[in-house]
Amino acid sequence: MEYVSPIDERVRQPEPLAQPTATIEGKTVALLDISKNRGAEFLDRLELHLHDRGAKTIRFRKPTFSRPAPAELIEEIALHGDLAVEGLAD
Amino acid sequence: MGVGSAELTLEGVDGGVYRLGGLQGDEERVLLVFAHSECPTSKLALARLGPLGPALAERGVRLVCIVQEPLEVAARMARQHAIDALVLAERPPYAVANAFGVQTVPMMILLGSDGGIEGTVVGWVADLLNELLPVRVSDAEPRWKPGCEARPGHDAHLPPPGPSAFDELEDMFERGWTDGLPVVPPTADRVAAMLGGHDPDRSLGVVPPGMGEATLARVAACAVLAGCKPAYFPVVLAAVEALLDPAFNVHGQAVTTSPPGQIVIVNGPVRTALELNSGMGALGPGNRANLTIGRAARLVVQLTGGGAAGGLDRATLGHQGKISFCFAENEEASPWEPLSVERGFGDEASTVTLIGGDAPLSISDHRSKTPRELAATIGWAAAVTWSPFWWPVDATSLFILGGEHVRMFAKAGWSKADVRDAIYEQVRRPARELRHGETTPQVYAAHPEELIAKWDDPERIVIVVAGGEAGRFSAVCGPSLGMEAAVITREVPWNT
Repeated sequence: MEYVSPIDERVRQPEPLAQPTATIEGKTVALLDISKNRGAEFLDRLELHLHDRGAKTIRFRKPTFSRPAPAELIEEIALHGDLAVEGLAD
Repeated sequence: MGVGSAELTLEGVDGGVYRLGGLQGDEERVLLVFAHSECPTSKLALARLGPLGPALAERGVRLVCIVQEPLEVAARMARQHAIDALVLAERPPYAVANAFGVQTVPMMILLGSDGGIEGTVVGWVADLLNELLPVRVSDAEPRWKPGCEARPGHDAHLPPPGPSAFDELEDMFERGWTDGLPVVPPTADRVAAMLGGHDPDRSLGVVPPGMGEATLARVAACAVLAGCKPAYFPVVLAAVEALLDPAFNVHGQAVTTSPPGQIVIVNGPVRTALELNSGMGALGPGNRANLTIGRAARLVVQLTGGGAAGGLDRATLGHQGKISFCFAENEEASPWEPLSVERGFGDEASTVTLIGGDAPLSISDHRSKTPRELAATIGWAAAVTWSPFWWPVDATSLFILGGEHVRMFAKAGWSKADVRDAIYEQVRRPARELRHGETTPQVYAAHPEELIAKWDDPERIVIVVAGGEAGRFSAVCGPSLGMEAAVITREVPWNT
C-alpha cells in the first residue's frame, strides 16, 4: 500500500562542525546571552575565566530565549568572534 | 557497470537525480547495495554498512544504496538505519537491478575504478565483505544471514494476503505517523479527497522545530491521519497558516519543557456548517470536527514539523490538549461580539484563532450574587496558573465562560471589557505574599504592601463563550509563558 507521507522525508546533511581550536589564548570568544533569567551572571563568571586564559571576549544578546537567534546576530557573531559560547533554554 | 546501466537514472532521497554512469569519480570504486524494506537481511546490511559511508569514502570507495521502494520509504529507511551515504530509490521495472542481475537482496557489488565488477556478496556474509572492502564491517552477530528474493519476484511470489497478513493501522504506528492513538492511513485517494483540488505541492512554509516543509499534500495527510472529513480541510489549512505565523512562535512552544499546546477556536458560519461543538461539553469528547481539526493541527507540528513528544518536544509533562484542543465559540449564547469580530474580522467572517496555552482548569461558582463577585471567582482561579507566585504574567490567559455565568454578566449589562477589567483589577496580591519560590523581579522591586496584578496588561485576558446552558462552570487555560506567543486569527474561506 502506498501512502502520502505527512513527513518531509528529504534527508538534510548536517553542517560540518568547525574544528576545535588548539588554544583560546589571543582568540576572541563571543558570549551569547540568550536572555534566560540569570544567564548573564553565568556568562560574567565564564568571561573572567576566559580572560585568565588570555582570551578576549565580546558579548552579544539575543532578544528572547524562546526563538532562534536572528540571522543578522549570527552573522555578527561569526564576523567578530573566533569562537562562540551559548546556552540552551528549557 | 551492469549491462546497459550507465545511462539509467534514479532519484536520490536528497532530492537529486543520479545517472548510474555518473556515480563514479576518477580513481574511485563504488559499492552498490541493493535492498528492500520487506527483507530483514536487507535491513541488517543497511544498518551495518550505512554508517560506514564516510570511512569507505576515505579509502576510495563510494557507498551507494539502491532501495527497491518509493522515494519516501527509501528516505525513511535511510533515516532509520543512519545511512551516511547516497540512497537511491528504484521503482518497477527495476531496470538497474535487472542490469546487474540482482535476484536476491541484499546484494553488494563492488565496482572497480574502471567500472568492472570486482566482487559480489549475496545476503549478509561478514567475512566475505571484510575480504572485499577496505573497512572492517561489524563483528556483531549474525555474521551470516541468507538474503531474500529481490523485487519484482518477491512481490509476485507472495502468498495471497490472509486476514491478518498486514494490519495497516499497526503499519502507521511502525512508521511513527501517530500521536499515540490509532490514525486513518493517508492513502493517495483519501489525501486527494482531502485536498479537494488544492495544489498538493503548494507550500505553507516550513514547520518548526524540524523545519519540514508544509506542502498541502502533507497537511492533507495529517488531516486524513487525524480523521478529518474533507469538508474540514479549509479550517485545518487556516489553523496551520495561523500556527506558522512567526508571531505565534510555534517553534518555542513545540520544544519547551513547559506544557503549552495550540488551542484552536473557531468562529463564524463555518462552525454550524461543519457541526463543530460550541455547546454542551465543547471542551470534551464526542464531536468529530472539534477533535479531528485540533488533532490535525497538532499532527502537523508533530509529524511535518518533527515536534514529537520525547524527541524535539521536550515538555516535562505536557497535557492532553496537545493531542487535540479545538472548539467553537458559542456565539448564539453570547451577548457580546464574538472573538473573530473583536479581532477585527466582519460579522459574517469564519475564522480560526490560535492561542498557545495550558490545559483548561475548571471553575465552579454557583453562589456569587453580583457580577463583580463572579468575576473575582473566575479571575482568582487563574491566580495559580503557571505558578501561584509568578506575578505578573506577560502572556495570554484564555477564559472560556459558560452560559450561566455569561447570563449573569449580561443581565447586569456588563460588556466583555467590563468582565476583563473586573478580573484584571481584582486579582492582585501584596508583593510580600508573592515572595515565595518562583517569582518575578517586579515582586522583589516593589514595596512589600504594593499590590501586584496577575497580568501585566488587561489585554492578556482573552474571553470567549462556550458550553451548555446549564451549570455555573467556566474554565481558564493558563499562559504559555516565555514564548512571546501572540494570539493569531486567520479567516477561513467559507461561502455561507
